[in-house]
Amino acid sequence: MMCPSATQKPAARLTALVLAIAATATSAQPIYHPPPGQNFEGVWLIQGDHSAIRTSKGKLPPMNRAAAAAYAAHVKARKAGKPDFDTIQTCKPHGFPRILFAAYPIEVLQEPKQVTFIHEVHHMPRMVYLDRTLPQLEDMDPNWMGLSAGHWEDDTLVVETQGFNDLTTLDTAGLPHSSEMRVSERIRKLDADTLEDLITIDDSKTYTQTWSTRVTYRRQPGRRLKEYVCTFTNPEAHSSEPAGGG
Amino acid sequence: MRFLLHVGLVGLGVLAAASTARAQSDVVEGPLIRPAASSSDPRDLSGVWFIRLYNRQINSTLGRLPPFTEHGKAEWDKRVKAEKDGSPIADASAYCWPHGVPRVMNSPYPIQIIQTDGETTIVHEVAHNIRHIYMDQPHPQTITPTFLGDSVGQWEGDTLVIDTLGFNDRTWIDEVGVIHGKQLHVIEHIRKIEDGHALENIIRIEDPEFFKQPWYARITYAWRPDLRLTEYVCEENNRNMPVNGHTVAQ
Repeated sequence: MMCPSATQKPAARLTALVLAIAATATSAQPIYHPPPGQNFEGVWLIQGDHSAIRTSKGKLPPMNRAAAAAYAAHVKARKAGKPDFDTIQTCKPHGFPRILFAAYPIEVLQEPKQVTFIHEVHHMPRMVYLDRTLPQLEDMDPNWMGLSAGHWEDDTLVVETQGFNDLTTLDTAGLPHSSEMRVSERIRKLDADTLEDLITIDDSKTYTQTWSTRVTYRRQPGRRLKEYVCTFTNPEAHSSEPAGGG
Repeated sequence: MRFLLHVGLVGLGVLAAASTARAQSDVVEGPLIRPAASSSDPRDLSGVWFIRLYNRQINSTLGRLPPFTEHGKAEWDKRVKAEKDGSPIADASAYCWPHGVPRVMNSPYPIQIIQTDGETTIVHEVAHNIRHIYMDQPHPQTITPTFLGDSVGQWEGDTLVIDTLGFNDRTWIDEVGVIHGKQLHVIEHIRKIEDGHALENIIRIEDPEFFKQPWYARITYAWRPDLRLTEYVCEENNRNMPVNGHTVAQ
């Protein structure tokens, strides 16, 4: 850092001094600021109830016969109070894309090569890599959240996710999916405080055609993510936090 | 063939050395490769880092046990004995709970630091612990105790200083038997060292219930741009699920 020189004029010295103070201010650090239209940073909360998702046209997704039978069994089990199919009953992850429908806030963090979604529920992170493409499905280890790669198309974040296990459902009601599912998203701001996610499910083992659903999130100014601890594994001291939801 | 033989012998040598080191001090070596340094900006901590010289017993700068109070020492002795007797007392991580601070900073898994406006976030691969460090602001006036506490940060020169308090008393400070109570107050000084190839974290630990005076631990992390965090789901097939407070290996 340059010190104000004695030979500088008073005004220049003052400017230099102000700059020097600014440079040592506590908050000075390299922060990436996305272009305004692509800036999704902040905390968001889903709008509406998406516990039983429908297509963008308001219909039940086009399940094949086996999937329809599995779905009917899930709905029946839930009604009977024994939703054993539901992974969050035992504090296992919601999986993707179900976590997108959870009624808990999501924090978005943006960097040039990565958009990170932190879900309050189960403190689950999802990294969307902007600098890599997805491997072939057969080369991936299936997991709960899959692997996400994205890119910007103008102000829309386009994300592809695959590499799932088949232990989760797409919603609380119990829409099934296979490990071959591929999920595409188009995420954009409708206005400064509304984020839209158009989600397309491509899973020919489960659905007779690809289908889409749409959710919106509302900005939560000043809200911070709380620590969420699922209590199934805590038989000795239950906290007041719910065991799941959404 | 000769090359393969050579590699094999070196491999055996490394294995032998590693197992000796492990047997002696429980130390697991960090990554041996040394990729290019991180960004030249000393305040740009963003990216993936991996602990070096991980030790189950946190590396106190004293080179010996922390200055326990009588109570702290008794809790330490109890845990060391339980482990020696083959029935270790379960810490928070065995229940798949968040690991606590500074315990989570002393874990043999990669961490990713993300710096955004007003916040520094540390995403830990282990049990997807996530630390939110709010920059340039005081702690809230009322804090509900949590596993990871409430963290605020600020830059002092090129050192990120993180102040964390508001803990519950369910986590440990290390994996052996240094524990803490709700009065725990942790101050971390994190800065780049070795021309950006590594991070240093000097951790000040204060808890009058367990320690006669504040003490320090020092941990360093290697810059690992070649790594990406992978999914870690503790609740899936947890082979160490505690029974009556004790870990039972299955």
